Amino acid sequence: MLSENFTAILARNEDWSAVATTEPYEAGWAREAVIFVRTLKEPQGPQPKAIVELSPDGIRWLPEGSLLQLPETKDGIAMARIAHFGNWLRLRAVFDDGASSTVIVTLHLKS
Amino acid sequence: MNDGKETGPLTNAPAFDDMETAMLRALRLADPALSRFDPMRRIISHDDFARGHCGWSQLVGNYEDTLDTMLPGYAQHTSAMLSTLGHWDAGSHGGVDSSYALKIATRPRPGAQNVAIKRLTMRERCPIRFEAFVTFKPEATELKLSEADVRSFGFLFDLQGGDEDGPIDRVMPHMRFLNAADGKHLQKWQFKPETTKFTAIGDSDKTASHYHLAPDGWKDLPGGAQRLCYNEIATKVNWTYLRFDFDLAEMKALSFRCNDREFDMSGFEPIRIPAMKNLWCMLNVCLFAETDVAKRAFLYVDSVCISGDF
Repeated sequence: MLSENFTAILARNEDWSAVATTEPYEAGWAREAVIFVRTLKEPQGPQPKAIVELSPDGIRWLPEGSLLQLPETKDGIAMARIAHFGNWLRLRAVFDDGASSTVIVTLHLKS
Repeated sequence: MNDGKETGPLTNAPAFDDMETAMLRALRLADPALSRFDPMRRIISHDDFARGHCGWSQLVGNYEDTLDTMLPGYAQHTSAMLSTLGHWDAGSHGGVDSSYALKIATRPRPGAQNVAIKRLTMRERCPIRFEAFVTFKPEATELKLSEADVRSFGFLFDLQGGDEDGPIDRVMPHMRFLNAADGKHLQKWQFKPETTKFTAIGDSDKTASHYHLAPDGWKDLPGGAQRLCYNEIATKVNWTYLRFDFDLAEMKALSFRCNDREFDMSGFEPIRIPAMKNLWCMLNVCLFAETDVAKRAFLYVDSVCISGDF
């Protein structure tokens, strides 16, 4: 039996500024995950490190420990590997005033 | 349901007989995975979501050159996920007979929708049957019943005949359970006979788009009021059975059942629009959820069986 794997699009062409998060995603069947962020337009201002977050219920969140430096140029790609995450995953980024980025965030899961 | 008699000019399928019909019925009734379905002769797909997403993907909108050309209705869609219906107070609820269900989740803003789609093509113009076990709930962010927080859930087909069928339409039967609107608990089935106008996408004249799940244009299915089992707190769910038959030859709804209720479909109309130049023999099936409030709505799909009378 081949192991399952799945690519989920968590955010597509979303303009991120201030406090931005992906929608919660359940992936309890997967043992490992990789999150990619690609910038679709030229980012504005300083780009923060995004934070991978875990949750017991999809409602309350806390940092998983992985950080992901958001790209500083158009078509830049950043990535974080995640394991032992339970079920819920999301990505969160806090931008300075005036800073923003248009991103596509993809989650790659493998059982 | 096939009755052992050939029902039409099926060009790609062998004729069936009484013995086959009896054997199929017996084999399926003895199979715990299929016994709770009532499929037509040919099972096109049987998805239990214990084997992955089973070909149910995100409904993405059309675009050209830039994603900015995608209509907002589609831009809000995200990927469906596999869920054990884990709740903060009671843990994983699980499905009918496995751990996992497909979960279609909206964003947390009033009117937000999300859609999952299975994209197929058809090989016979014959009756097809869509069966599913589903349930819906709002995100359990409040210690309240929240029974009027989910606006609707539903399903649709997106169909178009073959390239040699002559003058035909693209046909899109839509059905939704309007659970609530503006805080009122309405609980009724509706259909949608008209879509919104098409918007050209890009400037190559190759792509257009229409958001057929826009909130306007829904009509009440005659006799379509139905109170479903919602249960007594936001984290208790019960699975509901759906069955919808549609004839791909006449492009006409044949029947609809939800649990113990069989509805009169004589007043049902699908959306009909001119055939499009790249969609020949298309057989798409969608499931969708819609929230009425600033809280995520979840449609959970335990299993789906799509079958055809060929």
